[in-house]
Amino acid sequence: MSIPTLLLYGANSPLGRRLTQALSPRSSEVRVMAADPLAAGALRAAAHTADAVINAAMGTPADIVRAAERLTEALRGAPVAKRLVQVSSMTVYGDATGLCDVTAPPRGPLGAYAAAHAAAEALLRAFPQTVVLRPGVEYGPDCAAWSGRIARWLQARRVGDLGAAGDGYCNLVFIDDLVRAVLSAAQAPAAGGRIFNVAMRNPPTWNEYLIGFGVALGAVPVRRVTRRRLAIETKLLAPPLKVAELTLGRAALIRQHLPPAIPSSFRRLCSQEIRLVVDDAEAVLGLTWTPLPVGLQAAAAAYGQP
Amino acid sequence: MLLDITALPEGQDLSADIVIVGGGAAGITLALDLIDSGLSVLLLESGGAKEEPATQDLYAGTVVDPRLHSPPDRYRQRRFGGTSSIWGGRCMPLDPIDLSSRDYVPGGEWPITRAALDPFYPRANALCEAGEFAYTAEETFGTAARPIVRGFVSSDYSMNRLERFSCPTNFGARYAHKLGASANVRVVIHANLTNIALDEGGRRVTHLDLRSLDGKRITARARHYVLATGGLETARLLLANRDRHPQGIGNDHDVVGRYYMCHLAGVIGNIRFSCASDAVFRGYQISPEGVYCRQRFALQEAAQRRERIGNFIARLHHPHITDPAHRNAVLSLLYLAKPFIPYEYAMRLHGPDAGTARNWLRHLANVVTDPFDAVGFAWHMLRDRKLAERKFPSIIINSKANLYSVDFHAEQFPNASSRVMLDAVPDALGMPRIRIDWRYLPQDVHTVSRALQLLAEDFAASGVGQLQYDPAEVEAEMTRFGAYGGHHIGTARMGSDPRSSVVDADCRVHGLENLFVSGSAVFTTSSQANPTLTVVALALRLAAHLRRIESRS
Repeated sequence: MSIPTLLLYGANSPLGRRLTQALSPRSSEVRVMAADPLAAGALRAAAHTADAVINAAMGTPADIVRAAERLTEALRGAPVAKRLVQVSSMTVYGDATGLCDVTAPPRGPLGAYAAAHAAAEALLRAFPQTVVLRPGVEYGPDCAAWSGRIARWLQARRVGDLGAAGDGYCNLVFIDDLVRAVLSAAQAPAAGGRIFNVAMRNPPTWNEYLIGFGVALGAVPVRRVTRRRLAIETKLLAPPLKVAELTLGRAALIRQHLPPAIPSSFRRLCSQEIRLVVDDAEAVLGLTWTPLPVGLQAAAAAYGQP
Repeated sequence: MLLDITALPEGQDLSADIVIVGGGAAGITLALDLIDSGLSVLLLESGGAKEEPATQDLYAGTVVDPRLHSPPDRYRQRRFGGTSSIWGGRCMPLDPIDLSSRDYVPGGEWPITRAALDPFYPRANALCEAGEFAYTAEETFGTAARPIVRGFVSSDYSMNRLERFSCPTNFGARYAHKLGASANVRVVIHANLTNIALDEGGRRVTHLDLRSLDGKRITARARHYVLATGGLETARLLLANRDRHPQGIGNDHDVVGRYYMCHLAGVIGNIRFSCASDAVFRGYQISPEGVYCRQRFALQEAAQRRERIGNFIARLHHPHITDPAHRNAVLSLLYLAKPFIPYEYAMRLHGPDAGTARNWLRHLANVVTDPFDAVGFAWHMLRDRKLAERKFPSIIINSKANLYSVDFHAEQFPNASSRVMLDAVPDALGMPRIRIDWRYLPQDVHTVSRALQLLAEDFAASGVGQLQYDPAEVEAEMTRFGAYGGHHIGTARMGSDPRSSVVDADCRVHGLENLFVSGSAVFTTSSQANPTLTVVALALRLAAHLRRIESRS
């Protein structure tokens, strides 16, 4: 029997790198092929011969849609049984609150990223065996957005215990749990054609995540950030910081010393009382969740100050 | 969902699975814990978001001896958030000994042990925003823990037990958004409970009658009802509802309102430490999660049993503020700032004071002669207390002279003749007002006297300093301000025997199938601990019980 081949689109995304790392010791069991550099014809050939195709592409909203379009094109005419794993996002639920299973309709207008993920899902769901994963908040090593950036905010005491503003649920998924979800989705027979939320059961609140991460980082005592202070950060400071970040793109030295902006979207997310229903991910993909203290230690080891 | 009774139609009949009366720390905790439980919950609150004088007046009443107890409308708030809107935030759990068998505490038998509360304390701590449920210095600070007095050794007192401070969290302001967003919890404000209607046999609550102060009437019905109205109001409501039970609900054996306990607290004596001044630390340490913590001298369980006395803790305190002889600019500033400090805190901070012009001028002189100290303190109070969401808990002044006094907080023994009754005078809604007859026992004086004596002996034996006080003054000091304000305990006590208790181990009123009490009214003994954290833990325990029995029905 030949070694199964996984075609990985987005091999350079943080998740893609993590997947490649996870699979390299198992090279005798599974062969990974990076898809991004392939030209249209080669991509099409690879997609048709691979046992499963994984789309872990990240980037700007345009990048996300473009990746979905390229794969759609490449897979045209592929066998009906071809398995495709699309890594999407919980942002497709918009402002929804309460318990959300995968049938929950989006609420409110979707932001650019959420809309891009929704569009990519729609494109790739045209293939009957596509598995869509909707991860929550990815944390751990190689998670620049939700561990790396937050570590810098915590170290500067710019976030912490947010009081009522941090009561929303933080649907964390440890990066290695997501890797296992992707691999399981590529192979589990019953997963084809289905959508799964991927986040730990009984998630903490954002306050619990921020305080727990702050303690794990040794950025203590974790500070209580007043509503007033958070408003100043997200409404007054964030716009100029973001502009500077974009315009100073080439002046790497200055950019490096610029404090990362705390966007309003972060403030909104921290108070969003949404909880992802993950029963199917556990039952069909066989997932278990890394305990929060273990995940926080790993994240702190990756992003703590040396 | 948040509703105001004034916006509801006259005669509206609201129904739910569970009705909670009272939106303070207990009632809000219950409602929060029942979010997404699949049960419909109605939380009825008398007040609005802020203090309203006409509503607050419903709490007014009389006290038999005004020297021994504050007026009934002080130290409690009839509004959404309840008294958590003015509390000091000090948190610590009850000690195992408090719920254990003690033959020297007559009537002190709880039907549960500390183990029954243990599963609920961590979440209670989180709701109080007091961080981890870790109440020793080692657990919280490891090797960075600073002892109160380096070199103090005692077999009777521990120094490593902590008190942790809530923000202090106003449960109303803090959690309104969660209740407001909830699909299964409705909160109705300005709804005053005027009648608890029972069935003919007097064994089941059939509905509640509610009124607003401007005359709107509604009813509420449910399968289960919870009174979460505080230690004083719970007794008043049970006693005032006499349609089916002539002595009041749950009061067939004349226990409701009796065994009323507060705490015995005071400031006494002088300690002059002989050790270096940096060997004494009476301030706060901030835990990794950002919570102010403080260590205390706690009388060990073995010593309590040996001496057959109540639970007791002590802290180091600054010298008396009113006497300008302390020559401390900050203390004098506090004296001068008295008109700006809320009544509930000013009482114990300042105490009774002659307030002569000469005294006032001497205090002013203290401030003027050390203005930097006073300005630094004012800035600290502005930044760390006034403008902070997590407030610096109290005033800490380290004595350059290494001179302190002792601030103590002791258990009061249960006493059937210390009680809450009904007064003949009705309030604006026609409900009889409250009358308070708080009393203490000779054993309570003995608890404080003996505990102080042990502390003084251990200070002397350790060679760190001398605690000097007049043993003849102990009773006067512990009652100088009367019962400790705001801790209203024991008026619907928990027990297995209906002849000596009001609620059972599940907080259900004896003889009633569907009426429960949540709050410090159910405590059988008072402990040394401030009650709020345990009030919240017991509310979580009751919520778990209600979910269990609802799932059966």
